[in-house]
Formats: sequence, structure tokens, C-alpha cells
Amino acid sequence: MEPAVHHELLTRFDSRLNSAMRMYLDTCARCGVCIQSCHVYASMPELKYTAVHRAEVIRRLFKRYFKTQGRLWPSLGDSAELTDDMVDTIYQTAYSCTGCRRCMVHCPFGIDTQMIMSIAKLLLIAAGREPKVLSMLADMSIQKGKSTPETRANFAKAVEQLRDEVLIRWREAHGEKVVPLDMQDANILYVALAGKHSIVPAAAIMNAAGEKWSLSYYEAVNFGAFVGNPEKTRMIAQRIIDEAVRLKVREVSICECGTAYRVMRHMMGALPFRVTSFTEVIARYLREGRIALARNRIKGRITYHDPCQLGRNGGVIEEPRYIFSRMTDDFVELQPNRTENWCCGGGGGLVAVGEKDFRMRSARVKADQIRAAAPDIVSTACENCHSQLTDLVGHYQINASVRFLSDMVAESLQA
Amino acid sequence: MQDRIYYFAMVPMVYAALAVLLFGIIGRTIRTVLAPRQQTTLQIFPAPRHPWLRALADTFLLPTVRTIRPVLWVFTMLFHGALVLLVIGHLELIGEIRALQIIPHQVFLGGGLVGLVLTVALFLFLFTRFKTPYREISVPEDYFLLLLLLLTVLSGSHMSWAKYLSPAGFDIAVPTYREYLSGLLALKPAVPMGIEASPHYVLVALHVFFANCFLMFLPFSKIMHTFFALPLNLLRRGGLHGARSTP
Repeated sequence: MEPAVHHELLTRFDSRLNSAMRMYLDTCARCGVCIQSCHVYASMPELKYTAVHRAEVIRRLFKRYFKTQGRLWPSLGDSAELTDDMVDTIYQTAYSCTGCRRCMVHCPFGIDTQMIMSIAKLLLIAAGREPKVLSMLADMSIQKGKSTPETRANFAKAVEQLRDEVLIRWREAHGEKVVPLDMQDANILYVALAGKHSIVPAAAIMNAAGEKWSLSYYEAVNFGAFVGNPEKTRMIAQRIIDEAVRLKVREVSICECGTAYRVMRHMMGALPFRVTSFTEVIARYLREGRIALARNRIKGRITYHDPCQLGRNGGVIEEPRYIFSRMTDDFVELQPNRTENWCCGGGGGLVAVGEKDFRMRSARVKADQIRAAAPDIVSTACENCHSQLTDLVGHYQINASVRFLSDMVAESLQA
Repeated sequence: MQDRIYYFAMVPMVYAALAVLLFGIIGRTIRTVLAPRQQTTLQIFPAPRHPWLRALADTFLLPTVRTIRPVLWVFTMLFHGALVLLVIGHLELIGEIRALQIIPHQVFLGGGLVGLVLTVALFLFLFTRFKTPYREISVPEDYFLLLLLLLTVLSGSHMSWAKYLSPAGFDIAVPTYREYLSGLLALKPAVPMGIEASPHYVLVALHVFFANCFLMFLPFSKIMHTFFALPLNLLRRGGLHGARSTP
């Protein structure tokens, strides 16, 4: 490895050593309690897929370059040199971890493997070894933040074409736009994903609730977070923050995208507006009686997959269950569920990167979990999870469909 | 020559070990505290109503270990409980602590049981390290620490066990230890005749030597979890200011 690159990588490593990270790297007792926590290990029992091993890859570098023990007696802690081969290992380590943080739930010290993997991802970026598709998508998002009036006009035209599809789900209120854009002083700025599936149901639900809302020009997904680039993560989120401030909205509601929600809700610090997931908004409308659902309009047994970034890492856990309690009499929980739920296997950018073979093999435990619940519909509130679960039920020939929670709510709307 | 080596372990090395321990722990702690603060939450949800209570329970009761590895949990709890008793026992060897004598007891509670529990637990921890998959996740430091602790505990417990089990007894009495340890504390170090003349002097010196090695290694090892376990659990439960989720 070139000395300049070596130096740069260590500088980046050092930049991530805040107090929490130092404690994470200093503390592991290698008790092995986390071994079975990882869905990848549970599906493919190889040591390299354990949380402790992943963390240890980074910890060995930490010992070698940032600890007295590693400098004086490197073999004692299995300290490792930063070499090109090591960078290969770091890649395999970082991109076999979905950042679901299930291991953190079980670790007696609460060590956050996803946080440790943020060092791994940062090193890969500095070495030019990150999945290029993720960096490219992140750059595209940032570029869209500098969009010209023409691109905004094109977006407005495209949104206008969704009108009829929204009206199938809910009628038009007199004098109101079906999908409003640039609405000053709106109560809610709704941030969708690219694709009408993320806009149409949400529009129907908010219109049914009589909400004063506005659709964001930007898509919620944050590829900066997937690739592990803190600057790009902030820049992508900042576009939405600026728009929300410009429109003076009271609340920014993030569509069904777990990572986008977590970034905006928990990683951007104090903001001049409230941040919610759209699942929380639906639950609130139901509690306030602003929308009503036709019970059992959707036939069949329904289960719910807790997206990791929305559930255990985001705090939206009981809201979807409340929504289902108002929608159906045939709801079944996956076992385990809530904080203990198995990751779908598609997080951490894996769905965007592709890696289908790995994603399918590493999520066998998820397929087993779904099969055991025997649902007709697997519902979820995260785009990544939806894509992965759709692939998964196909791959493992499970007789169930995968649907977005918001789509099911929109279908069940009752006048 | 032999006496010189023993004296080195019993006096200068003790001071050196305490200095390394103290400055090591302070240095590591300062470095961690002065590092930039985590600005965003690292919480796991649902957020507990009382984050501090939950973090204390996580730290001292290890609920997830109990669920996932119950045998390890039993021995880990016994081990840490015995360690606390051991620390109390050694403090009482420096001088009488009246507050602890509310319940009258002999110095070194348990009649050798504490050492036995520690020994059994340490052997279990060590043997587990030879078993897949724990063998593969272990690093030399794990074995080194366990061996160092085992040697310290075995050499120390031997003195205790001999006293209780053999009619010949172990001939170094508590007042003699107090003379030695309080002398060290008062910076008037000396190895009392009661220890120096004892046929078991070699065991005492070995025990002190291994303990010194352990104390010197502690600040540079994973044993720092003693100090970091609670703050880390607070991070997980959202109990640390600055790392909480915004309302």
C-alpha cells in the first residue's frame, strides 16, 4: 500500500475515534454472546459472519495503531497491519453486515457493531474500494439538491400524472390539490421515494385525513448513509431540511424507508420541526379519528416485519401493530419480533449493491421465520425490506405476498 | 539472592504496579472522556422509562447473557461476586474496617470458598476458550489474562485453603499481613519477620508477583470493561446527555 494512502486511511480512522467508539473498541470481552445474534451467522454459520469477528477486524487495527498494547506487544491482541489484503477483509466484513444492530441488543456491554463498521466503510471510501454504485447514487442525490427550475417543473408534471391513481383510493377535496407541492406553512412535508408506490397511498391517506401537506421535491433515501460517508449523509439530509425550513412546515414525515427515517430523526441533531415516520402519522390519524379503516377488507393472514432501522433503531414499534389492530382480525406476529426481530438481510446498502445470492443465503433464517408464521401477506414499512422480502419469498418459494403497510392502509380507507 | 527477588516482588514491584495501574486507568479514562462526544443517539428501542436503572441492570445483572448463555451467566455472576468479596477481604488485610464488622466475620469471608468459586469459574472460562466457536474468536490476550488471574487466585487461595484444611495450618496470621500492607500504604515498606521467616514466603511472594503483573496489565486490557460497561449501557439505553434522541 502506498504510504500516502496508508496515512490517509489512518487519519480517517482517527477521525472516527470519539468517546463512544473508543469504548466500543476497548471493551469487548469476546464472550461470544453475540455470535447467534447475526442473521448471517444463523443462516451460514461461519466465524466471519459473527458480530465479534467483524468488530475484531477493526479492533485489531485499532490496537496496532492507536493503543500502547498493540505498539509494545502486537501479537498479544492479534493486532493487524493495514495492508491491501486487510482492505479486502474490511470489504467482506463491512458488506456482510446489514447494520441491523441485533447484536447490540444482546451484547452485555451494548457494543454497536454498526458504529464500528462505520470505520470500515470510511476506510473503504478512502481506499477507493467502496461499492461504486452507492457513491454514485449518493452523488446523484446531492446533485438533485442543486436542481434547476426546469427539473422542478418536470417533477411537478410527473406528480400531476399521479392524480387519477390517488383518486382511485380517495376522493378529491374541493379546491385542494391531490398531490400538493411547494405548499407554504403546511403541517406536513412528506418525503417520498422515487416511484409512485411511495407517493400514491400516502397522498390518499393524508387527503382522507384532511391534512394540509406538501410533497417534497427530494427522495428520502440516503445513499450517503449506506456507503458510510458522513459528509454525504448530511448533505443529502440537508436538502430536505432546507426545503422544510423554506416552507415553514411543522413536521417532516419520512416515507417507508427505515434508514432515511433514522438519519433524519436520530442523526441530524435538533431540528426546527418534528420528524416522524409515515407509519406514526397513520397511527396518529387513526387515534384521532381522522381516518377510518374498513376492517378485514384485505383478506388473509397478515404478518408484520419490523424494519431494523424503524423498529429497534428508530423506536417505531407499536404503531404498526396498532394500525393492524384496526385493519384486520387475522394478524400474526413473527417470532421473534419487535426488538428481537431478525433482519431481512437487505440493509446496509446490500439491496442497492445487488449481491442477490449472498442476500438470499444469508437470510435463510428470515425465510424460516416467515414460513413458521404461515402468513398470506408479509407487510413492512421499509423499501429496502420490501425489496429483500419480495426476493426472499420468491427464492424460498413461500406462498405469501409482500406489501407496504401504507398501501394496505390506503386500500382499507373507509369514508 | 532469593530474598532479594522476593523483596523486589513484595515491595518495589508493588509500588510500580500500583503506579502503572493508577496512571494507566486515569490516562485511558482521560483519553476517552476528552475524545469528541457522540452527538447523536446510539439508543436501542423501545426506550426504557428509567434509562439509568435499565443500564445498571444491564451492567450488573447481565440479562442477555442469562438468556443466551445461562451457564456462562451463572459462573460470570459468581465470579464477579467473588471478586467483590476478594477486594473486601484484601482491604480488611490492610486494617480493620469496623463498618464491615457489623456482621462479625473472620478476615477473608467464606473459609476459602471465595477462592474456590473464582478458581472453578476461571477454569470454566479457560476451557470454554478451547471450544469452537469461542476458540476462534479468542486472542492471546484472553488466555494470558485468564492464566494470570488463575495463577494469582491459585497462589492466594492456596494460603487460605492450607489454613483451613491442614492441622499444620498456614502460619502467617492476619496481623502479620496487616503489618506488611499497612507499611506499604504508609510508605514504610518492610517484609515482616512473620512472612520472611515463614516456609510459605515463596507462595506469598509469588501471589504478590502475579497480582502485580495483573494490575500492571489491567489498564491496557479488556478488563477496562470494569469502567466502561456502565457508560456503554447508558449509551444503549439513551441515558447519556448529548447522546439522546431529540424529542
